[in-house]
Amino acid sequence: MILTTETLESNKRFERSCYLNLLPLFFIQVAFNPDEASNAVKECIEGVIGGVDYSQNKVNQWTATIVEHSLTQLVKQGKPFKYIVNCAVMQKSGAGLHTANSCYWDTTTDGSCTVRWENRTMYCVVSVFAVAITL
Amino acid sequence: MWNGLLDIVNKRQIPLSDKSEKNTETSVENRFISCIFCVFRFRPAVVSSCIRELVREQLGGESYDSERSAETAQTLSKRITDRLKELGLDRYKLVVQVVIGEQRGEGVQMASRCFWDADTDSCAKDVYMNDSLFCVAAVFGIYHY
Repeated sequence: MILTTETLESNKRFERSCYLNLLPLFFIQVAFNPDEASNAVKECIEGVIGGVDYSQNKVNQWTATIVEHSLTQLVKQGKPFKYIVNCAVMQKSGAGLHTANSCYWDTTTDGSCTVRWENRTMYCVVSVFAVAITL
Repeated sequence: MWNGLLDIVNKRQIPLSDKSEKNTETSVENRFISCIFCVFRFRPAVVSSCIRELVREQLGGESYDSERSAETAQTLSKRITDRLKELGLDRYKLVVQVVIGEQRGEGVQMASRCFWDADTDSCAKDVYMNDSLFCVAAVFGIYHY
């Protein structure tokens, strides 16, 4: 790209000031803390379905509320991550359920946690995947 | 506009008009990234058909078995990840989740929400059911800048 020399220098100054402002963010690369995330998620689950029985009419609303609240709590932690929150609620009927996940990412910065919760009438499994934002 | 971006990609020098000089403060890198991912984007339809094929190949005609299904779920998620790596999504981090459950007439509800960049990141999913089991496979692709 052909630019005049004046605009080139002003670009460099602008870019330098951007980098300096974001410097702490670049070098403080935190790894995902699964304990903190799982505590936040457990509180959300308890708040939504703690002490209620399985209901076909309400389960749609419950799963949506659990994922939304969990995501809000995770984002509030203010860490530089993109999040995927997945929730499955299953009625207790003696049937089996298996969950498996496979991830292709940077194991030093990204991570996941799975929270299993149950009461008398249902199981709830919430998986959180956190992918670091590196600039 | 796209012609200009392709020239940047090919590292050709182009003269700036008066209009484009207003955009000189926008970093070249951001425009470079925008151009690249429009070519190698995570396309849900393509990924969905790929996982559909794999799920039916692995689970077609199988019945639920409490001991085997755990291993089947793990193998399937690994196979899906390996197959997706071949699709050329080099800049994408992948998260594959497979859920296999027994069909006994119970109610199951699954939901997911994501906090990501909607321009670059996406997800694809597939549901398979037969008489004895159901399987949900979800793939999330996150662009690595």
